[in-house]
Amino acid sequence: MKFIAGVILIAAFSAIAEYFLPWWSAAVVAFLISLLMGLRPGRSFAMGFLGIALLWLVFALWHDTANQHILSTRMGGLFHLPAYGFMAVTILVGALIGGLSALSASFFRVMSQFKKNIF
Amino acid sequence: MRKITGIIFILITVVLVWALNKSWNIGAGIPALGKLLDPVNGCWANADAVNDGIKTDQRWPGLQHEATLWVDSMMVPHIHATNDHDVFFIEGYIHAQNRLWQMDMETRAAAGRLSEVAGPKAIDYDRKQRRKGMGYAAENSLRAMEAEPRTRLMMDAYTEGINQYIATLCYRNYPLEYKLMGFIPEPWTNLKTALLMKYMADDLTGGTDDMALTYLRDILPADELKLLFPDKIAGSDPVITRGTPFEKPSLRTPVAPPDSVAFPHYKPTDFGEQRVDGKGSNNWALSGSRTASGAAILCNDPHLGLNLPSLWYAIQLQTPDMNVYGASLPGAPGVIIGFNDSLTWGLTNNYRDVKDFYEIKRVQDNRGKYLFAGKQLEFTKRVEHILIKGQPEVVDTVYYTLHGPLIYDGKYKSTDGLQKDLAMCWMGHRGTNEVLAIYLLNRAKNYNQYVDAILNFQCPAQNFAYADRQGNIAIWGQGQFVNKWKDQGKYVMNGFDSSTLWGQLIPMRENPHVLDPPQGYIASANESVTDDTYPYWYNGGFVELRAWRINQLLADMHKATVQDMFAMQNDTYSILAEGTLPIMLRYTFGISDRYQPALRAWDYKLTASSNAAAIYQVWWYYFAADLWRNMVGDKVPDSYTPLAERIMQLMQAHILPGQNNSDSAAADKFYGALAIKSYNEAIDSIGRFFTASRTDLEWYAIKNTKVQHLAKLAPFGFDHLKIGGWGNTINAAKGDHGPSWRMVVQMGKNEIEAYGVYPGGQSGNPGSVHYDDMLQNWVDGKYYRLQFLPNTDKQDSKMIRYTLNIKP
Repeated sequence: MKFIAGVILIAAFSAIAEYFLPWWSAAVVAFLISLLMGLRPGRSFAMGFLGIALLWLVFALWHDTANQHILSTRMGGLFHLPAYGFMAVTILVGALIGGLSALSASFFRVMSQFKKNIF
Repeated sequence: MRKITGIIFILITVVLVWALNKSWNIGAGIPALGKLLDPVNGCWANADAVNDGIKTDQRWPGLQHEATLWVDSMMVPHIHATNDHDVFFIEGYIHAQNRLWQMDMETRAAAGRLSEVAGPKAIDYDRKQRRKGMGYAAENSLRAMEAEPRTRLMMDAYTEGINQYIATLCYRNYPLEYKLMGFIPEPWTNLKTALLMKYMADDLTGGTDDMALTYLRDILPADELKLLFPDKIAGSDPVITRGTPFEKPSLRTPVAPPDSVAFPHYKPTDFGEQRVDGKGSNNWALSGSRTASGAAILCNDPHLGLNLPSLWYAIQLQTPDMNVYGASLPGAPGVIIGFNDSLTWGLTNNYRDVKDFYEIKRVQDNRGKYLFAGKQLEFTKRVEHILIKGQPEVVDTVYYTLHGPLIYDGKYKSTDGLQKDLAMCWMGHRGTNEVLAIYLLNRAKNYNQYVDAILNFQCPAQNFAYADRQGNIAIWGQGQFVNKWKDQGKYVMNGFDSSTLWGQLIPMRENPHVLDPPQGYIASANESVTDDTYPYWYNGGFVELRAWRINQLLADMHKATVQDMFAMQNDTYSILAEGTLPIMLRYTFGISDRYQPALRAWDYKLTASSNAAAIYQVWWYYFAADLWRNMVGDKVPDSYTPLAERIMQLMQAHILPGQNNSDSAAADKFYGALAIKSYNEAIDSIGRFFTASRTDLEWYAIKNTKVQHLAKLAPFGFDHLKIGGWGNTINAAKGDHGPSWRMVVQMGKNEIEAYGVYPGGQSGNPGSVHYDDMLQNWVDGKYYRLQFLPNTDKQDSKMIRYTLNIKP
């Protein structure tokens, strides 16, 4: 339950953040939501990964469909990829950043608790 | 342990985000991938919806009054404003909205500022632009433009409009290329508009063969040089109809100095720039006596670089005293080629030489001074700072003489290694105001106002064709020219003698022109401007073949329709093939291969799928190159061969290049040997063209007409377009040059019927369906009916896609 809520929250808050801030604000959102959820590292990674993947997939599909694949075909050409290959790479990059960011948060949580025990 | 793992993962994440947020100078350069790929703000945000919805009304604070904008099915904007300020403000805004990156790059290219965004690979290009004095030229013109109140207002408003659009942008809606190249738009200035005008002037008057001719003059006997490189080709159909009387000149032709004083000597290693040909254009007009409707028809197709985003942008501009439609140049206000509610005009390059070179003698022990008329003069220094992406700036000092800037010296060599101190004297360096010509032309009501308008168009000189609703037609060879002595500027001149200086300017009303010639038509296609009766001496880079074909077709044209004009603009008949192939085939009757029958049966049309056209074109290429090498050895670059039409004339007259008289037997021997040698070379070359997957020999596949993206990004461009023609046929689709805007306008008394097409689309965005939506119709020779809206507040045309009401 926490996991699915995390995925949706990351996607939703990243959308808002990215609208006003640069693209990497999505990584910050994934980090913060993951910190809040406190899942184990593996599940944290998956949550961040899927959260940003969801957001970027929805946006890419939305643009690409209305555009009838004109841009994705040309941009794909620059990367020697077909249109859908280009979309897949796009989403993978975002998902990877989201996953790593959420994973970092789960470790960060452990570290800060560790500190708390000392002092 | 977990702590260390944790720190490592946090570090990896931060480093990865950092790495994806910056561009990398690896290989051809890698853009900031995270930024670029982000579907919210990155490249995906440039994917314009194919069916864009209804646009809401807008508020643009810079406007003085309300204005209306109609956008039609071709995505052409029709601006209806109440005053000059507003109409040019909106034009600037819309140009920027559709073509900002292109405008930015073209003006950077003009100024020599490409390295700033493209990195070190553009340094040589930038240095050359600065050496040519492009910035100096634009600053001179800007002073003239801003001193004239009408052009000041026009350019200020245009610049404001562009800047208002730029102010609305954030990274998300930057044009795609900014995201790919990793830079951001900078504010527009009037100087940028002046730079763009000089960019066009350089493009159209920049080529030169002065250095090559200086060398050829020394190695070829005088009569041979004249035979091969005549000032005017015999039998030319000049721009100004043969037999048109010219007024008595107000200036006397100056006396030429002795050759020993006028001209220096060159070695084959001294060649400067390679000759680049390919730019040309056609225009013609028929009076009512030759058309089916009884109305005059004007046609124009300027042949320029074929690129995406397209050079031109179609637009209609309306104010209470102006209603004009046509091709505008993003980066400059007004309409450059088009028609208004009274008249229409079209341009071809005039090619009279307005760019000369002077060899400069420096003072022996003072490199900061040079010799002129027995005196020592100080160079004026202009220090050029070239900013380079990722590197410290390069500083280049350009030395200016009284002739103009030193384009080459020991510190900057030409691509061929020319090191002589060579100054360039160019009409484009002067403070000319072509924007004023455009301003007046767009609102001209009759022939006299038309003439008053174009007399302000000084450089690049153009053949201005004209037609109006009363059925008048006219053409002017318009530009600012110098009263030269014979051969002045044909070769590089000695810069130390005062007799070589440019003298008086020819009053522009004395420029050659003709109004309503008895034959009922006028035409120009970059050929010689006048016959021999024109009183002033001039030379230039004229070509004749297209003009011959156009005049041939027009002479037989009666009851012409716009459809006849479409066919003419797409005509691919080669006068050169007609004139040379039968002679060449005389010597190859002994060869029996699969190509010879095709050549013998050929109709001389360079159609896209013609096999014979492909063979002939390759054969002719080798024939002309071999002929040239045969004469001058391989010291002189192939590109300095005499004009094809001149070689054709010599072949037809049985004249050997080295002799002045006709000699059938010797000519047979000479041309026969050449024909066979070059045919074998051509067949070899064609053989190499075939591969396992390519077995068909079609003309379009060999010549490869392409429309490339300005940044040479292959997936954003198109190649191997299935279009016929070549530079010497009316449909002049070459490799990367061709008809950049085809226009046909019938000026009926009751209705103006106009058609146009260009190889691209109204949008400059590679992510838009309107980036290239006219391209296939251009390839196929099809046209769009141009929607010329009446000058009223409301429109009922079905072709209007949406209406925007814009409030200040």
